[in-house]
Amino acid sequence: MTDSTLEGWSPEIGPGLSLAEVVDKAFDYRGNVTVVRTDGSETEGYLFNRNADAAVPFVQMFDVGGEGPQTIAYRDIRTIRFTGRDTAAGNSYAAWLRAKEAAKGGHPARGV
Amino acid sequence: MSLPVSQMWAVSSYVIRQKLAGRKRYPLVLMLEPLFRCNLACAGCGKIQYPAQILRKHLTVEQCLAAVDECGAPIVSIPGGEPLMYPDIGRLVTELIGRRKYIYLCTNAILLKEKLEAGLFTPSKYFSFSVHLDGLREEHDEAVCRDGVYDQAVEGIKEALRRGFRVTTNSTLFDGASPLRVREFFDEVMDLGVEGMMISPGYSYSKAPDQEHFLRTQRAHDLFSRILSNPKRRWRFNQSPLFLQFLMGKQEFECTPWGNPTFNVFGWQRPCYLLQEGYAATFKELLETTKWENYGKRSGNEKCRDCMVHCGYEATAVNHTFGSWRGFRDTVATTVTGRF
Repeated sequence: MTDSTLEGWSPEIGPGLSLAEVVDKAFDYRGNVTVVRTDGSETEGYLFNRNADAAVPFVQMFDVGGEGPQTIAYRDIRTIRFTGRDTAAGNSYAAWLRAKEAAKGGHPARGV
Repeated sequence: MSLPVSQMWAVSSYVIRQKLAGRKRYPLVLMLEPLFRCNLACAGCGKIQYPAQILRKHLTVEQCLAAVDECGAPIVSIPGGEPLMYPDIGRLVTELIGRRKYIYLCTNAILLKEKLEAGLFTPSKYFSFSVHLDGLREEHDEAVCRDGVYDQAVEGIKEALRRGFRVTTNSTLFDGASPLRVREFFDEVMDLGVEGMMISPGYSYSKAPDQEHFLRTQRAHDLFSRILSNPKRRWRFNQSPLFLQFLMGKQEFECTPWGNPTFNVFGWQRPCYLLQEGYAATFKELLETTKWENYGKRSGNEKCRDCMVHCGYEATAVNHTFGSWRGFRDTVATTVTGRF
C-alpha cells in the first residue's frame, strides 16, 4: 500500500465520475467522510458498508459520535466528501522502517 | 496435533453432523471481534485503522452471544483488536464456556499477567489463550513495531501455564523469514510448555499497509517446506496437519471463506476474515446473499490468488479429513508419524 490518500477530496459526481465509484472509494477509506444528501443535509461519520446490489442500493455509517448505524439510499446522496483524517495514511511498513532507522540510538520506533 | 481428545471429538462429531444433514456450507470457527481497539499498532494490521469513534465502540456481551448462538460453530476465536482490552472479556469467556464452545482468546499478552492476577479467568478445557508471537525476540518485536513485547508475551505465557491454563501460540510468517530462525523459534516456544503452535502465512489484503511485504504462493510453499519437511517430534501444532501440508504445497485446496465467519461492530463481514467487501445483518443473510463464487483461487479473484491463510484453508483441511478416505488416511498418517 502506498501512502497516497484521498483525504480532503471533494468529488463532483458527473459524467466522468459516478456516485457508485465515489461510494466504493468512501467504503475503502479509513477515515470519516461527509455524506451530502440531495436535500442538502449532511452527515459526517465512518462509512462501513455499502450494498449496490440491494433492491434499493444503500450505504451504512456510524456518525462522529459513534451513533448508528444510519442507512442512506444511494438515490438520496449527492456526493461524499473525504473530510476526516485518513488513519491508514503514513502507516505503511516502509514508513515504520524509515522511522525506526531514523530513531536508531536507543529510542523505540513506534508504539501506542 | 496437540488438540485435547474432547475438542477433537466435538469438532469431528460436529462436522459429521453437518455432512449427514447435507449442509453444503457450515461454519467451523467463529471469528468474534468484540472491538478493534488495540494496545499495539503493528504495521501489518489494518484492523486498528479507524476513526476514534469506531475504535471506542465494542460489542455487548449479549451481541456476542447472539452471534455465537446464531452461527453455531463449535469453536470461537476472539481476536480483535486486543480482546484483553474488552471490558467484559471475563464474562464473555465464562458465558462461552457455559455454552461448551472451545475458545481461543487471541492476545498479544501485554495485559495477560495483569488480567490473570486480577482473577478474570478460570482454567477450563474449553478455554485457551492463543498468544501472538511472530518469531524470536528480534523478529517478533519488529513485527509488532515495539521493543520488549516478546518478553512481555513470554512472561504472560509462563504465568498462564503456571495457573493451569491452556496456552497456544499463533504466528504469522512473513516474506523473508529465515527457516532456521523459525525452527529455533518453534524449539523455544515448545520449551515454554505450550500446548501447541498455530502458524499461517501473511496475506496482502487490500487494506493492509504493507502488502508488498507478504508472501506469495510459491515462496510460501518453499518457506514452509524448509521449515516443516524435517519436523522435530516435540513440535506440536494446534491445527490440522493437512493444512500444514497445504502450506508446503503437498495438498491442493480451495478456500472455504464461510468456514471462519467474522462478526464485529459492523456486523457479519463479507466474505471472510481478511477481505472486507461489506456486511450482512445476520449470519443467515451472510450465507445466503454473499456471492461465494466470486472468491477463492478458482474464481480468478486477484485478491484471493495468493491467499493461503488459515482462516480460509483450515476449514477446507478439516472438511477434507472427513470428506474423503484419502483425507482421513492422510490426517491419521501425519498424526501418527509426526511427519508432514
